[in-house]
Amino acid sequence: MKIGIIVDRYHLERKTQNLLKYLKSKANVSVYIEEEYLLNSNKFHFDEDIFFVKAKGDIIIALVKMLENETSIPVINSFKGIWTAFHRFVNCTLLKKAGISVPNFALNPEKIPPSFDNYISKNIIDQKTYAFNPDIEKLDGNLHVRDQRSLREKSFYDNYFFYQEFIKSKWEYKIYCIGRELFYYKQLPVLVNPNKMESRKKIDEIPELGEMVIKANEIIDLKISSVDFLKTKDGKFYLTDINSSPNFDYIKKGAKIVGDYLIKQAKR
Amino acid sequence: MNIGLLSKRTTMLAGRIKQFYEELGHNVTIFTADNLSINESLLEYDFFILKSKRLIYLYAGFFIKAHGVPIFPDPDLTYKHKYRIDAHYLIQQAGLRSPNFYLGSKDVINNFLSKKAPLVSKSLMDSGSKDVKFINSNKDLSTLDENVVYFEEKIKGTHYLMYFIDDEISVSEKPPLSNEHAPMTEITPSQDMIEILRKWREYHDIPFGHLDVIKEESTNNIYVVDPGCFPEFSNWKRGDDPCPKICNIILKRISNIKK
Repeated sequence: MKIGIIVDRYHLERKTQNLLKYLKSKANVSVYIEEEYLLNSNKFHFDEDIFFVKAKGDIIIALVKMLENETSIPVINSFKGIWTAFHRFVNCTLLKKAGISVPNFALNPEKIPPSFDNYISKNIIDQKTYAFNPDIEKLDGNLHVRDQRSLREKSFYDNYFFYQEFIKSKWEYKIYCIGRELFYYKQLPVLVNPNKMESRKKIDEIPELGEMVIKANEIIDLKISSVDFLKTKDGKFYLTDINSSPNFDYIKKGAKIVGDYLIKQAKR
Repeated sequence: MNIGLLSKRTTMLAGRIKQFYEELGHNVTIFTADNLSINESLLEYDFFILKSKRLIYLYAGFFIKAHGVPIFPDPDLTYKHKYRIDAHYLIQQAGLRSPNFYLGSKDVINNFLSKKAPLVSKSLMDSGSKDVKFINSNKDLSTLDENVVYFEEKIKGTHYLMYFIDDEISVSEKPPLSNEHAPMTEITPSQDMIEILRKWREYHDIPFGHLDVIKEESTNNIYVVDPGCFPEFSNWKRGDDPCPKICNIILKRISNIKK
């Protein structure tokens, strides 16, 4: 069996080593690194049984698109899944339309504020590997959080901002999804403690969240993901983020679980 | 009817479309980056026209389509015109030729450029002539701003802009690296040009638009180098105004979507 890993240097060095070690003990593994790879429309032959994508840069998603068009090799995650996950406005639109609770959201030109009082302004396209960097302001009792990334990138998007209504929550819930297996965690929201791992705890299954995660992954076409939720005082959960390239090293035996899942999918 | 027009400007073809529909008694709002907030208020319109392929307008298009309000052209097809990799497959699916392409970081391209030059660099996410440059050497490569670069093999030949509105066509010779509005000379389309437009139109069910093509000097093969689904028709040379034709086509398409 041959498994292809499509990755960028950052994820290769920091987030994929355990998986590679595990997979190499079970199969032949080929690694395609974004920074070293030349996509050539005239030379496109692969003999892998499955591909796993652990990044979301332009070259990577173009390669995924071409694999889907030119071969029958399964690719996890799909172009649609990766693309929709990093286009925040598109995934919020599709999830809300499907009945999944997402916070109110808006995409507005700079001079038009959103219709909700408390908001967090996030980067419009969540594709690059850099961290959330909040700038917090309290104005007339309302909370306005602006991610520095959205300010830096506004000129690329006609000076538009993506706004999400701020949900006050004691915990942030993070659910990892590998196929149909779900792993539940909670941590203090990053606005309370930027070091998310410091407070992270494994928690028991919450069926309501599990149902939403499975449904969200079906809509967006993700097989492996992590999904974030916040919970209001009255107990309602809101899906705030969906990620096509989660760090499964945070799950106990995460590399083995992902590796076994890929091997199983390749045999199908 | 209340018609929304998603356009980066209110003038030129967008302005004429508005005027045409208003003279028929419809209300038309042009949404530009000054007044377009993408939210439920858009769902009060009877239909939308997606004139611009810029990301914000595409997002509005996806939102409108997801909520079942008719929109033309289809935002998914418009996105495929904009994203070079998808555009390559649109061209191939219609049975037409497109140049070989490469995508890589500047460092990687540097290593093979001497074997492959001349190349043409283009923006990965924007069709049209913007950001198109000829790359003959590593020095040319170093002038590009982006680190990840999309290149096509340069086809040596004559460049043409081919418009179509249903089976009416207008073809002009296009100066290299010029945009749609540059002065151009009309030519009589050859049979293979007519056939290319027919295949494109019929395969993708696109009633109007344009193809930028290059007729290769050494083989006479025609390569499609840039498709567009909502040009300005600045070089439509048939002596009539294309605006009423496309407005009527849109009305017809919208009524089909509503059915």
